Amino acid sequence: MLTNADFLALAGKQGDFTARIRLRPRYIDTDSCTACGLCTQYCPRHHVDPYNEGLALTRPIHIDYAQAVPATYYIDPESCLYLQHDTCQICVPVCQSHAINFNQQPEELDLKVGAVILTPGFGRISGKTLAKFGYEAHPDVVTSIEFERMTSASGPFQGEVKCFSDGRHPHRLAFIQCVGSRDLGCDNGYCSSVCCMYAIKEALVVKEHDPDVEITIYYMDIRTQGKDFDKARERAEAMGIKFVRAKVAGVTPWKNRLQLTYSTLDGRHEFEPVDMVVLSVGLESPRDAAGIADITGIELNRYDFAKSDTLSPLTTRRAGVIVAGAFQGPKDIPESVTQASAAAGIAAGLLKKQRGQGIVHKSYPREKDIGDEVRIGVFTCHCGINISSVVDVHAVDDSVEDMEGVVYHTDSLYSCSQDAIETLKQTIIEHNLNRVVIAACSPRTHEPLFQETLKDAGLNPCLVEMVNIRNQCSWVHAAEPEAATDKSKDLVRMAVAKVRGMQPLPEQTVPVMPKALIVGGGIAGMTAALTLAGQGFDSVILEQGATLGGHLGLLNHTLSGSETAKYLKHLVAQVKKDGKIEVLTSARLVQIAGFIGNFASVVATGTGEAAKEHTVDHGVIILATGGHEHRPDGYLLDKSNKVVTQLELEKRLAGKARNRAPGSVVMIQCAGSRGDDLNYCSKVCCNHAVKNALQIKEINPDAQVIVLYRDMRTYGFAEDAYREARLKGVVFIPYDLDHKPEVYEKGRSLHVKFFDSILREETDLTPDLVALSVGIVPDGTDGLSKLLKAPLTDDRFFLEAHVKLRPVELPVDGMYVCGLAHTPKPVDETIAQAQAAAAKAAIPLVKGSVSVDPIVSHVDQDTCIGCGLCASLCPFAAIEMVKVGKKRKAHTIAASCKACGICSSHCPTFAISMGGFTNEQITAQIEAFGEVSEKETTEVS
Amino acid sequence: MSDDFKPRILGFLCNWCCYAAADAAGISRYQYPPNLRTIRVMCTGRVDPAFILRGFVEGADGIFTGG
Amino acid sequence: MGKGMEHRAGSVMVLGGGIAGLQAALDLTELGYYVYLVEKSAVVGGVMAQLDKTFPTNDCSL
Repeated sequence: MLTNADFLALAGKQGDFTARIRLRPRYIDTDSCTACGLCTQYCPRHHVDPYNEGLALTRPIHIDYAQAVPATYYIDPESCLYLQHDTCQICVPVCQSHAINFNQQPEELDLKVGAVILTPGFGRISGKTLAKFGYEAHPDVVTSIEFERMTSASGPFQGEVKCFSDGRHPHRLAFIQCVGSRDLGCDNGYCSSVCCMYAIKEALVVKEHDPDVEITIYYMDIRTQGKDFDKARERAEAMGIKFVRAKVAGVTPWKNRLQLTYSTLDGRHEFEPVDMVVLSVGLESPRDAAGIADITGIELNRYDFAKSDTLSPLTTRRAGVIVAGAFQGPKDIPESVTQASAAAGIAAGLLKKQRGQGIVHKSYPREKDIGDEVRIGVFTCHCGINISSVVDVHAVDDSVEDMEGVVYHTDSLYSCSQDAIETLKQTIIEHNLNRVVIAACSPRTHEPLFQETLKDAGLNPCLVEMVNIRNQCSWVHAAEPEAATDKSKDLVRMAVAKVRGMQPLPEQTVPVMPKALIVGGGIAGMTAALTLAGQGFDSVILEQGATLGGHLGLLNHTLSGSETAKYLKHLVAQVKKDGKIEVLTSARLVQIAGFIGNFASVVATGTGEAAKEHTVDHGVIILATGGHEHRPDGYLLDKSNKVVTQLELEKRLAGKARNRAPGSVVMIQCAGSRGDDLNYCSKVCCNHAVKNALQIKEINPDAQVIVLYRDMRTYGFAEDAYREARLKGVVFIPYDLDHKPEVYEKGRSLHVKFFDSILREETDLTPDLVALSVGIVPDGTDGLSKLLKAPLTDDRFFLEAHVKLRPVELPVDGMYVCGLAHTPKPVDETIAQAQAAAAKAAIPLVKGSVSVDPIVSHVDQDTCIGCGLCASLCPFAAIEMVKVGKKRKAHTIAASCKACGICSSHCPTFAISMGGFTNEQITAQIEAFGEVSEKETTEVS
Repeated sequence: MSDDFKPRILGFLCNWCCYAAADAAGISRYQYPPNLRTIRVMCTGRVDPAFILRGFVEGADGIFTGG
Repeated sequence: MGKGMEHRAGSVMVLGGGIAGLQAALDLTELGYYVYLVEKSAVVGGVMAQLDKTFPTNDCSL
């Protein structure tokens, strides 16, 4: 990890790049800094804190936030007295670990790399644009990012929302959407795609804090097209947050408040007094976009984002240079994470031959037998002064002297420093310790380090227990040193009691079958298979239809003009000739057994005479089952030949008929979606409508096209096409749920009745054609969900392991999802997601084995009565009932177990124990807790 | 007596949420009374009702389960 | 991760240590490649670390 680093040059070609990097000095030695924070306390100079958006002060020598990585302080040269004025240096003697080094100089390095992934993120909207809304001129106009820091409980105001002008709590709050987005005035014609969602999130946070705040969001279209995002909007409306479709003209001071001037759709001008205005700022291209493009030779689009093709969304003009994240186009966290995984997968494919060569494999001494004698070592850490300034570390150290089993104890200044680790290792060997207690900081951050040390010393890594006397003691009881010392003693005694019962737990590994099963042979499934094949892994594609291709075959071109049919043909050919991909058509999954690394699936192919069943052994499974068009009732679809879906319209427009682009067309958006039959937004229909509208205009410029919509969700760069359609005379009219368009037949003519919200009157048209934007429903997820024990959302899409951070993995290990089975999405997002799913699926395949944390559950076959309670309760399907002799017994599938312990705590015969958390150990801890109570009770009486 | 009552509380903290939150409380130097003694478990699902009873037997005035 | 200048076969440079860069770097490491994560500021995490109500887990285990 190279931080404080500038990217200077890139030479060479794919597989053999040389990247020149300049490291700016941090002035603090990262290996020595213990992040104790003493330096910041002594530093005399103030420094405006950019991490807190300038809402707080810090010091030139600081760390951005407590969890920062690297967890090392740094000196900002801009405001450091020594670096600016050659004076001070007070921090140098203060630092107990001698980490401060003002002699550090910038350093340049050449990195030899095979591929480059560009993820520079996004930039900020210019002050000029913000100034249009009174930013800078009035303190109570803030940006959404500033507001985010304000509402953060760990932020400078502890989550309290206050007006900067006089510190009062705002009673009326306004969010202005599309600041720096969809605005040609600042040359940002695109939609930033994320602001609607975060504005709603911020509004909800404030509303939850203080239900009396009146919040209004001023918007053009609410673009909550992401998975389950509309639900948040509905929740916001239910909580009383107001949404007003209006364009805000300006924000002006008014008495001690602000006045918002806005114009609504029907041309009215309104004024609204508010206390505070939040500007929902868009995502600008990164500030150094031009520089990056210069260095790497990639192409930028007209808005200075990386230019890429819809059908290969992450690759650039320069081979071996891949883009991901917001630089590829404004996007939210799950999309960025998906693209990042996809980029990793692509890079991995490019460098297949070099895989594993750069990684160093560490070897450990053989684990020694620990024997019967308990030999505990207790190590208490001062953590500089972090612990010892409150807790009497020596007293804690002394308190273990007479404890049963303790043969060695000591204290150290920094237990985690490199030399202390080495000493620990030597001490373990020298004193033949077989259990270790470290009283220091959190096992969540440092347990892996000490486990590693035990391994180095020839002990099983499970024989260490940490006692958290820093985060959960000295830091939180700063004013009560005696009580904190008592607490530390108690906690250490409890830990000693626990480790007495510790046993080495073998690290379990399960070999992985290096093959993937991919369900679905559409664009998602094929892309995933090819990405895996690119990395050298076999896969089997199950396609339920007779041929590969799926939904994409129904499209003609994409909004950006890419030809889908040609691409699909090319893709199918590639899949067919790839020796690593086996395709089973007319196939469906009927049974699946096993767990990550070792699945065995039964696949049925053919029907009638030709019906056959195959068994496929595979290590992972990717679900790319796709979806299909929803056909809603109530719009005369399938009843009148003048009512078609957008897909049918697209097909018609691609044909040769002379009247294929009729003289008048009404398009109805959200037909059957967003609250009707389908409860969600299908994300693609607005783009589809715009695409078809443009195509009609292309063929027949005189055609009248009217689009009735609720929110036009042409997010990202598709906004350009929406604008183009308007310029070409396509009329867009919003409708609301109280005035839904009605389609009916009268005689031979087809009528559409709707309320024109611009003219504010009821309108009745007789168009030649009505095109419905109908939404997408997933294919066969119900059955698969039961088969795989993988949960679905309310809308029958697969639920991912973590919506933001693990968007292509399912909660069940070894299962991945992409394409429409995850949620409706356009083809570029499907491709990136398929690449991401393949990259994630490749991880266990590359490793060749899955290792299991030894803290999993274990069933004692003798005590188990086979009641099956545990198997029914396990949330991860990690317990199976097996036949042992004539009896039914529970058995843990270690690879699936997440160590939650529900089975163990419910087992009526105490037959199940948890590695590292056995009943005996926890009971011993509780007993040790009790020892002092008894002592105190005796003292009192 | 009532004013001086310092209950001894035994806590079972889930490694993934409550224990993590307790760590975070430390990072932001949030101060709270030092009466709590904690046992880390991988999930509060691990907490057998027997543990709670045992805690009371061992003299706890209150038991806290965080997950 | 050291600042070693030695040539490592199968390395990838990731430019930018925001959520996308971190995810790409983590995945590449797991896929068996050596990663240079190049970040212009002093910490990784990017804008996501500033956000309030998402999980700034920052569990970057490079």
